[in-house]
Amino acid sequence: MSDWPTATIYPDHAWCGPTEVVENVAIARDTYRVRFGCPQLAAEILPGQFLMLRLAGTDDPLLGRPLAMYDVVLDGGRPWGVDVVYLAVGKLTRRLAACRAGDRLEVWGPLGNGFRPTGAEHLVMIGGGIGQTPFYALGQEALGRSYGRTDRGGRAARRVTLCYGARTAALLAGIDDFRSAGIEVQVATDDGSAGHHGLVSDLIEPLVGGSGPAASLVCCGPEPMLKTVSRIAQRLGVPCQVSLETPMACGMGICFSCVTKVRDGRGGWDYRRTCVEGPVFDAEKIDFD
Amino acid sequence: MDVDLRVQLGRLALCNPVMVASGTFGYAREMAGLVDLGRLGAIVPKTITRDPRMGNRPPRTVETAAGMLNSIGLDNDGLETFLQKQFPYLAGLGCAIVVSVAGRSHDDFVYLVERLGGVPGIAALELNISCPNVSGGVDFGTDPAMCERVVRGARGVCDLPILAKLTPNVTSVTAIAQAAAGGGADAVSLINTCLGMAVDWRRRRPRLGNVLGGLSGPAIKPIALRAVYQVARAVDIPIIGVGGIASVDDCMEFLVAGASAVQVGTANFYRPAVTMEILDALPGAIAELGASSVAGVVGTLETANGTGGGCPPPAAQGKMDQPITRKSFRYT
Repeated sequence: MSDWPTATIYPDHAWCGPTEVVENVAIARDTYRVRFGCPQLAAEILPGQFLMLRLAGTDDPLLGRPLAMYDVVLDGGRPWGVDVVYLAVGKLTRRLAACRAGDRLEVWGPLGNGFRPTGAEHLVMIGGGIGQTPFYALGQEALGRSYGRTDRGGRAARRVTLCYGARTAALLAGIDDFRSAGIEVQVATDDGSAGHHGLVSDLIEPLVGGSGPAASLVCCGPEPMLKTVSRIAQRLGVPCQVSLETPMACGMGICFSCVTKVRDGRGGWDYRRTCVEGPVFDAEKIDFD
Repeated sequence: MDVDLRVQLGRLALCNPVMVASGTFGYAREMAGLVDLGRLGAIVPKTITRDPRMGNRPPRTVETAAGMLNSIGLDNDGLETFLQKQFPYLAGLGCAIVVSVAGRSHDDFVYLVERLGGVPGIAALELNISCPNVSGGVDFGTDPAMCERVVRGARGVCDLPILAKLTPNVTSVTAIAQAAAGGGADAVSLINTCLGMAVDWRRRRPRLGNVLGGLSGPAIKPIALRAVYQVARAVDIPIIGVGGIASVDDCMEFLVAGASAVQVGTANFYRPAVTMEILDALPGAIAELGASSVAGVVGTLETANGTGGGCPPPAAQGKMDQPITRKSFRYT
């Protein structure tokens, strides 16, 4: 566990430049997977890190959007491109959903810190809404597959589980990807249309109760979910990393918009930049109140 | 043809006119992997205040049409922490460092300027008398007498060149610029953000945590160009153009309208290497106008009333059906 203050990860290995959509396919309701080439970025990016993506040739939408790496695409065994899974919800993502092969994008990354390898026997990944996207790469890494950079080491997990919560079954995206990678998937939906009828956080205790440090949690999704999962982790004595979805303008640490309340270890808190000190934090460092 | 990119802003000499604007480039360390920092004409790090400021509550930014609103609120760790933690890195970059300062009071400004005046390695100071997101500071940018006094106060306690960054949220930016010049400013930076707002009507809520914020980006470029043009005709000191600059064309527009240098701001957020692209293309753009230096294009705008002329007479408006050719256009 790192000491406060959290380490600042400058984008020293980031690449920025133009690229083109290779493919952009619907994988669930309003949910798409876009693929683009960016060898330098693909060779560096780690699970839980993100990139900024914008549409080239327009000032509206103006800013990039932070998107997690879903998978690294290899060409002849070498990192060549990145897959990103996104929900078409706003101005940029709706237009991105209409992009076809050859359409131009601008991309910069990798950005942020990514998930720390846990070395746990059982890695439990909790994703809510579109928060499952960083876990395909993380789950594969935890099961022993390397991602571009191979300097992370870390002991392989014996078991990796994705607890995946969504409003309804039609929004569940990429479950086959996870299962074919050897990741167990448990589902919860708000309307009961698939899996557990209720909150995804309800799935955690039956999975890890009593296993203590042999299990480790990672969590990404809406803030109320992160808060609930953090409390469960604390109660069970299980380490937990949370990845925040704070809106960002630059992703590189220069605008100071994406701040979140980070505990200072002395009973107080300070606004810290999610992009360069996160997006992944140890759960106990975040002041969710 | 070799193009001389050097610019002189009062007592501040820069190797080229492409600066980065305060609050849009962090403390530069963040961008070291994406920008060749030593090539920049100058870096203006994020504004510092005498004491640490936590900044405003999130959400602090929201995208708008071709722009963005921010209400960061001068989040910074204060003067001494800046000098300890940020400045040593900046001082080693080999590029001019212009430190931006803001105060709530006249004495705050004077204190900051006096303290920084004794720090080796600073090229100039920029007085941020125009941040719309903190109470107090912006008064110096809206009241000519207060503006002149704070600039004079800064000049009186420090030998460094003094720039004044002005707000467009006034009736007459010219009057404020004249006051800054009267107080002894080496140059004025025009413009800071335009006060604005965004609303989420379904929730009946403002989109910014601080309700109001500053608009920046391409959306405000015409306002910034107008301010530069007006002020260039009214004051003798150099102008640094700021507002929506995202390409070499934007940069040239400001130079021709009367700016001697430019600051790239919001574009750093969405095109991280934009300053390098501008620097690569700038000599060619200057040469295209037949000039061999930045100074050779500054303020060369030609209007119906001659170089740097005034607004067209109302009677002539709407009659510009003739193509406008240099030196030949006349209103009929």
